[in-house]
Amino acid sequence: MSTHRISSAKFLWGIAGALLFLTFLTVAVTWFYIPEPWNVIVAILIATVKATLVGAFFMNLYWDSKFNLLVLLTAFAFLALLILITMTDTLYRVDPVPSF
Amino acid sequence: MSQTAVTPKRTDHIHHHFVDGEQQFDASKMGMWIFLATETLMFGGLFAAYIIYRAWYPELYLEASQELDAFWGTVNTVVLIGSSLTVAMAIRSAQLNQLKGIVYNLYITIGLALTFMVIKYFEYAHKIEKGIRPGQYYTYQGLEHEKANVFFSIYYMMTGLHGIHIIIGIGLMIWLLVKAKRKVFHSDYYTPIEVVGLYWHLVDIIWIFLFPLLYLID
Repeated sequence: MSTHRISSAKFLWGIAGALLFLTFLTVAVTWFYIPEPWNVIVAILIATVKATLVGAFFMNLYWDSKFNLLVLLTAFAFLALLILITMTDTLYRVDPVPSF
Repeated sequence: MSQTAVTPKRTDHIHHHFVDGEQQFDASKMGMWIFLATETLMFGGLFAAYIIYRAWYPELYLEASQELDAFWGTVNTVVLIGSSLTVAMAIRSAQLNQLKGIVYNLYITIGLALTFMVIKYFEYAHKIEKGIRPGQYYTYQGLEHEKANVFFSIYYMMTGLHGIHIIIGIGLMIWLLVKAKRKVFHSDYYTPIEVVGLYWHLVDIIWIFLFPLLYLID
Protein backbone atom coordinates (compact mmCIF):
# COMPACT_ATOMS: atom_id res chain seq x y z
CA MET A 1 0.00 0.00 0.00
CA SER A 2 2.56 2.52 1.05
CA THR A 3 5.17 3.60 -1.36
CA HIS A 4 8.80 4.20 -0.74
CA ARG A 5 9.01 6.23 -3.88
CA ILE A 6 12.63 6.98 -4.71
CA SER A 7 12.64 10.00 -7.00
CA SER A 8 15.69 10.57 -9.16
CA ALA A 9 17.87 13.56 -8.29
CA LYS A 10 17.12 14.97 -11.74
CA PHE A 11 13.38 14.80 -11.07
CA LEU A 12 13.68 16.55 -7.69
CA TRP A 13 15.84 19.31 -9.22
CA GLY A 14 13.25 19.62 -12.00
CA ILE A 15 10.45 20.21 -9.47
CA ALA A 16 12.61 22.77 -7.64
CA GLY A 17 13.33 24.45 -11.00
CA ALA A 18 9.59 24.62 -11.77
CA LEU A 19 8.97 26.14 -8.31
CA LEU A 20 11.66 28.78 -8.88
CA PHE A 21 10.20 29.62 -12.29
CA LEU A 22 6.72 30.02 -10.77
CA THR A 23 8.22 32.24 -8.04
CA PHE A 24 9.69 34.42 -10.78
CA LEU A 25 6.29 34.41 -12.54
CA THR A 26 4.39 35.47 -9.42
CA VAL A 27 6.79 38.41 -9.00
CA ALA A 28 6.74 39.23 -12.74
CA VAL A 29 2.95 39.53 -12.94
CA THR A 30 3.09 42.38 -10.39
CA TRP A 31 5.12 44.43 -12.93
CA PHE A 32 2.00 44.67 -15.09
CA TYR A 33 -1.25 46.31 -14.14
CA ILE A 34 -3.92 43.68 -13.54
CA PRO A 35 -7.22 45.11 -12.23
CA GLU A 36 -8.79 43.96 -8.95
CA PRO A 37 -9.70 41.24 -8.18
CA TRP A 38 -7.79 39.45 -10.94
CA ASN A 39 -4.38 40.29 -9.47
CA VAL A 40 -5.31 38.38 -6.29
CA ILE A 41 -6.79 35.50 -8.28
CA VAL A 42 -3.64 35.17 -10.42
CA ALA A 43 -1.40 35.28 -7.31
CA ILE A 44 -3.48 32.61 -5.53
CA LEU A 45 -3.63 30.48 -8.67
CA ILE A 46 0.18 30.45 -9.06
CA ALA A 47 0.61 29.75 -5.33
CA THR A 48 -1.85 26.86 -5.59
CA VAL A 49 0.07 25.35 -8.52
CA LYS A 50 3.31 25.66 -6.50
CA ALA A 51 1.69 24.10 -3.40
CA THR A 52 0.35 21.26 -5.57
CA LEU A 53 3.84 20.59 -6.96
CA VAL A 54 5.33 20.47 -3.45
CA GLY A 55 2.48 18.29 -2.14
CA ALA A 56 2.42 15.87 -5.06
CA PHE A 57 6.14 15.37 -5.73
CA PHE A 58 8.11 16.50 -2.64
CA MET A 59 5.59 15.14 -0.13
CA ASN A 60 4.95 12.20 -2.48
CA LEU A 61 1.15 12.47 -2.30
CA TYR A 62 1.03 11.53 -5.99
CA TRP A 63 2.30 8.03 -5.19
CA ASP A 64 1.15 7.77 -1.59
CA SER A 65 -1.89 6.12 -0.02
CA LYS A 66 -4.92 8.20 -1.01
CA PHE A 67 -5.94 8.35 2.66
CA ASN A 68 -3.20 10.89 3.42
CA LEU A 69 -4.43 13.09 0.57
CA LEU A 70 -7.96 12.76 1.95
CA VAL A 71 -6.75 13.98 5.37
CA LEU A 72 -5.22 17.09 3.80
CA LEU A 73 -8.21 17.80 1.56
CA THR A 74 -10.56 17.43 4.55
CA ALA A 75 -8.55 20.12 6.37
CA PHE A 76 -8.94 22.40 3.33
CA ALA A 77 -12.68 21.68 3.17
CA PHE A 78 -13.16 22.70 6.80
CA LEU A 79 -10.99 25.78 6.24
CA ALA A 80 -13.25 26.75 3.30
CA LEU A 81 -16.31 26.30 5.57
CA LEU A 82 -14.72 28.53 8.24
CA ILE A 83 -13.98 31.30 5.74
CA LEU A 84 -17.25 31.10 3.78
CA ILE A 85 -19.58 30.96 6.78
CA THR A 86 -17.71 33.81 8.52
CA MET A 87 -17.87 35.93 5.38
CA THR A 88 -21.64 35.54 5.04
CA ASP A 89 -21.64 37.64 8.22
CA THR A 90 -18.72 40.04 7.81
CA LEU A 91 -19.39 40.93 4.16
CA TYR A 92 -23.02 41.92 4.74
CA ARG A 93 -22.91 43.89 7.98
CA VAL A 94 -24.83 47.18 7.86
CA ASP A 95 -22.06 48.81 9.84
CA PRO A 96 -19.06 46.79 8.67
CA VAL A 97 -16.46 48.56 10.77
CA PRO A 98 -15.86 47.08 14.20
CA SER A 99 -13.99 48.99 16.87
CA PHE A 100 -10.76 47.24 15.97
CA MET B 1 27.39 -4.56 -12.57
CA SER B 2 25.51 -7.84 -12.54
CA GLN B 3 26.34 -8.81 -9.02
CA THR B 4 23.76 -7.93 -6.39
CA ALA B 5 24.73 -7.94 -2.76
CA VAL B 6 21.94 -9.55 -0.80
CA THR B 7 21.84 -7.93 2.61
CA PRO B 8 19.28 -9.22 5.08
CA LYS B 9 16.52 -6.73 5.86
CA ARG B 10 17.19 -5.03 9.18
CA THR B 11 14.39 -5.35 11.70
CA ASP B 12 15.93 -3.90 14.87
CA HIS B 13 13.96 -0.66 14.45
CA ILE B 14 10.54 -2.35 14.41
CA HIS B 15 8.48 -2.10 17.58
CA HIS B 16 6.81 -5.32 18.71
CA HIS B 17 3.26 -4.00 18.30
CA PHE B 18 3.66 -3.60 14.53
CA VAL B 19 3.34 -6.41 12.02
CA ASP B 20 6.32 -5.19 10.03
CA GLY B 21 8.39 -2.14 9.12
CA GLU B 22 5.95 -1.17 6.40
CA GLN B 23 3.04 -0.93 8.80
CA GLN B 24 5.13 1.04 11.29
CA PHE B 25 6.20 3.47 8.55
CA ASP B 26 2.63 3.94 7.31
CA ALA B 27 1.30 4.52 10.83
CA SER B 28 3.92 7.21 11.53
CA LYS B 29 3.26 8.90 8.24
CA MET B 30 -0.51 8.92 8.70
CA GLY B 31 -0.04 10.40 12.18
CA MET B 32 2.09 13.15 10.68
CA TRP B 33 -0.53 13.90 8.03
CA ILE B 34 -3.20 14.26 10.71
CA PHE B 35 -0.90 16.66 12.58
CA LEU B 36 -0.38 18.60 9.33
CA ALA B 37 -4.18 18.84 8.96
CA THR B 38 -4.34 20.55 12.39
CA GLU B 39 -1.47 22.83 11.32
CA THR B 40 -3.40 23.77 8.17
CA LEU B 41 -6.38 24.71 10.34
CA MET B 42 -4.25 26.71 12.82
CA PHE B 43 -2.74 28.81 10.01
CA GLY B 44 -6.18 28.73 8.36
CA GLY B 45 -7.62 30.83 11.19
CA LEU B 46 -5.04 33.51 10.42
CA PHE B 47 -5.72 33.30 6.69
CA ALA B 48 -9.43 33.77 7.50
CA ALA B 49 -8.59 36.92 9.49
CA TYR B 50 -6.47 38.12 6.57
CA ILE B 51 -9.32 37.61 4.07
CA ILE B 52 -11.99 39.24 6.25
CA TYR B 53 -9.91 42.35 6.91
CA ARG B 54 -8.85 42.55 3.27
CA ALA B 55 -12.53 42.51 2.25
CA TRP B 56 -13.20 45.33 4.75
CA TYR B 57 -10.15 47.49 3.96
CA PRO B 58 -8.80 46.63 0.47
CA GLU B 59 -7.05 50.02 0.20
CA LEU B 60 -5.24 49.43 3.51
CA TYR B 61 -3.57 46.28 2.16
CA LEU B 62 -2.46 48.06 -1.02
CA GLU B 63 -0.94 50.90 0.98
CA ALA B 64 0.60 48.99 3.89
CA SER B 65 2.14 46.26 1.72
CA GLN B 66 4.43 48.92 0.22
CA GLU B 67 6.32 48.87 3.53
CA LEU B 68 7.31 45.23 2.92
CA ASP B 69 10.40 44.64 0.80
CA ALA B 70 9.38 42.32 -2.05
CA PHE B 71 13.05 41.70 -2.89
CA TRP B 72 13.83 40.07 0.46
CA GLY B 73 10.50 38.27 0.35
CA THR B 74 11.54 36.77 -3.00
CA VAL B 75 14.98 35.83 -1.67
CA ASN B 76 13.38 34.04 1.27
CA THR B 77 10.99 32.20 -1.06
CA VAL B 78 13.97 30.94 -3.08
CA VAL B 79 15.78 29.97 0.15
CA LEU B 80 12.80 27.90 1.37
CA ILE B 81 12.30 26.18 -2.00
CA GLY B 82 16.00 25.28 -1.91
CA SER B 83 15.63 23.84 1.59
CA SER B 84 12.62 21.77 0.48
CA LEU B 85 14.80 20.35 -2.29
CA THR B 86 17.61 19.44 0.12
CA VAL B 87 15.16 17.75 2.51
CA ALA B 88 13.82 15.69 -0.40
CA MET B 89 17.45 14.87 -1.32
CA ALA B 90 18.17 13.82 2.29
CA ILE B 91 15.26 11.36 2.13
CA ARG B 92 16.55 10.09 -1.23
CA SER B 93 20.01 9.59 0.31
CA ALA B 94 18.47 7.59 3.15
CA GLN B 95 16.50 5.44 0.71
CA LEU B 96 19.74 4.68 -1.14
CA ASN B 97 21.73 4.02 2.05
CA GLN B 98 24.01 7.00 1.34
CA LEU B 99 24.66 8.01 4.93
CA LYS B 100 26.97 10.91 4.05
CA GLY B 101 24.34 12.28 1.68
CA ILE B 102 21.84 12.48 4.55
CA VAL B 103 24.29 14.46 6.69
CA TYR B 104 25.33 16.87 3.90
CA ASN B 105 21.76 17.56 2.84
CA LEU B 106 20.67 18.16 6.44
CA TYR B 107 23.57 20.61 6.92
CA ILE B 108 22.52 22.55 3.82
CA THR B 109 18.88 22.52 4.97
CA ILE B 110 19.82 23.91 8.39
CA GLY B 111 22.00 26.54 6.70
CA LEU B 112 19.15 27.65 4.45
CA ALA B 113 16.68 27.71 7.36
CA LEU B 114 19.09 29.91 9.34
CA THR B 115 19.48 32.19 6.29
CA PHE B 116 15.69 32.56 6.20
CA MET B 117 15.59 33.53 9.88
CA VAL B 118 18.48 36.02 9.57
CA ILE B 119 16.71 37.78 6.68
CA LYS B 120 13.46 37.74 8.68
CA TYR B 121 15.31 39.21 11.68
CA PHE B 122 16.60 42.16 9.62
CA GLU B 123 13.13 42.72 8.15
CA TYR B 124 11.56 42.76 11.64
CA ALA B 125 14.33 44.92 13.14
CA HIS B 126 13.99 47.49 10.36
CA LYS B 127 10.22 47.75 10.90
CA ILE B 128 10.32 47.81 14.69
CA GLU B 129 12.90 50.60 14.53
CA LYS B 130 10.55 52.65 12.32
CA GLY B 131 7.69 52.09 14.78
CA ILE B 132 5.88 49.58 12.57
CA ARG B 133 4.80 47.35 15.44
CA PRO B 134 1.68 45.26 15.93
CA GLY B 135 -1.58 46.54 17.43
CA GLN B 136 -1.41 49.29 20.05
CA TYR B 137 2.39 49.52 19.86
CA TYR B 138 2.17 50.89 16.31
CA THR B 139 3.75 54.38 16.20
CA TYR B 140 4.78 54.80 12.54
CA GLN B 141 3.51 58.02 10.91
CA GLY B 142 4.30 57.18 7.27
CA LEU B 143 0.97 55.56 6.39
CA GLU B 144 -2.28 57.53 6.01
CA HIS B 145 -4.68 54.71 6.80
CA GLU B 146 -6.04 54.79 10.35
CA LYS B 147 -6.15 50.98 10.48
CA ALA B 148 -2.51 50.53 9.37
CA ASN B 149 -1.76 48.76 12.66
CA VAL B 150 -4.33 46.06 11.80
CA PHE B 151 -2.44 45.03 8.67
CA PHE B 152 0.80 44.75 10.63
CA SER B 153 -0.85 42.80 13.46
CA ILE B 154 -1.87 40.26 10.81
CA TYR B 155 1.60 40.44 9.22
CA TYR B 156 3.40 39.81 12.51
CA MET B 157 1.04 37.02 13.57
CA MET B 158 1.28 35.14 10.26
CA THR B 159 5.01 35.54 9.63
CA GLY B 160 5.74 35.14 13.37
CA LEU B 161 3.89 31.83 13.67
CA HIS B 162 5.59 30.74 10.45
CA GLY B 163 8.99 31.80 11.86
CA ILE B 164 8.35 29.77 15.03
CA HIS B 165 7.72 26.78 12.77
CA ILE B 166 11.05 27.38 11.01
CA ILE B 167 12.87 27.52 14.37
CA ILE B 168 11.19 24.28 15.51
CA GLY B 169 12.13 22.81 12.11
CA ILE B 170 15.79 23.75 12.68
CA GLY B 171 15.66 21.95 16.04
CA LEU B 172 14.18 18.85 14.39
CA MET B 173 16.86 18.92 11.66
CA ILE B 174 19.61 19.06 14.31
CA TRP B 175 17.99 16.06 16.02
CA LEU B 176 17.96 14.20 12.67
CA LEU B 177 21.58 15.20 12.08
CA VAL B 178 22.68 13.70 15.43
CA LYS B 179 20.80 10.49 14.62
CA ALA B 180 22.17 10.36 11.07
CA LYS B 181 25.74 10.76 12.38
CA ARG B 182 25.12 7.84 14.76
CA LYS B 183 24.16 5.85 11.66
CA VAL B 184 20.64 5.20 12.95
CA PHE B 185 19.08 5.55 9.50
CA HIS B 186 19.29 3.13 6.60
CA SER B 187 17.20 2.27 3.57
CA ASP B 188 14.72 0.22 5.63
CA TYR B 189 14.37 2.83 8.39
CA TYR B 190 14.25 6.53 7.71
CA THR B 191 10.79 7.36 9.13
CA PRO B 192 11.95 10.39 11.19
CA ILE B 193 13.51 12.03 8.10
CA GLU B 194 10.37 11.29 6.11
CA VAL B 195 7.94 12.84 8.64
CA VAL B 196 10.15 15.86 9.46
CA GLY B 197 10.41 16.29 5.68
CA LEU B 198 6.61 16.37 5.43
CA TYR B 199 6.51 19.01 8.17
CA TRP B 200 9.18 21.07 6.44
CA HIS B 201 7.38 20.95 3.08
CA LEU B 202 4.16 22.16 4.74
CA VAL B 203 6.03 25.11 6.27
CA ASP B 204 7.31 25.82 2.75
CA ILE B 205 3.76 25.64 1.31
CA ILE B 206 2.49 28.11 3.94
CA TRP B 207 5.24 30.55 2.94
CA ILE B 208 4.33 30.04 -0.75
CA PHE B 209 0.91 31.54 0.12
CA LEU B 210 2.16 34.17 2.59
CA PHE B 211 4.65 35.63 0.12
CA PRO B 212 2.24 36.90 -2.61
CA LEU B 213 -0.51 37.69 -0.08
CA LEU B 214 1.68 39.97 2.06
CA TYR B 215 4.56 41.18 -0.12
CA LEU B 216 3.18 41.31 -3.64
CA ILE B 217 0.01 43.40 -3.37
CA ASP B 218 0.20 46.00 -6.08
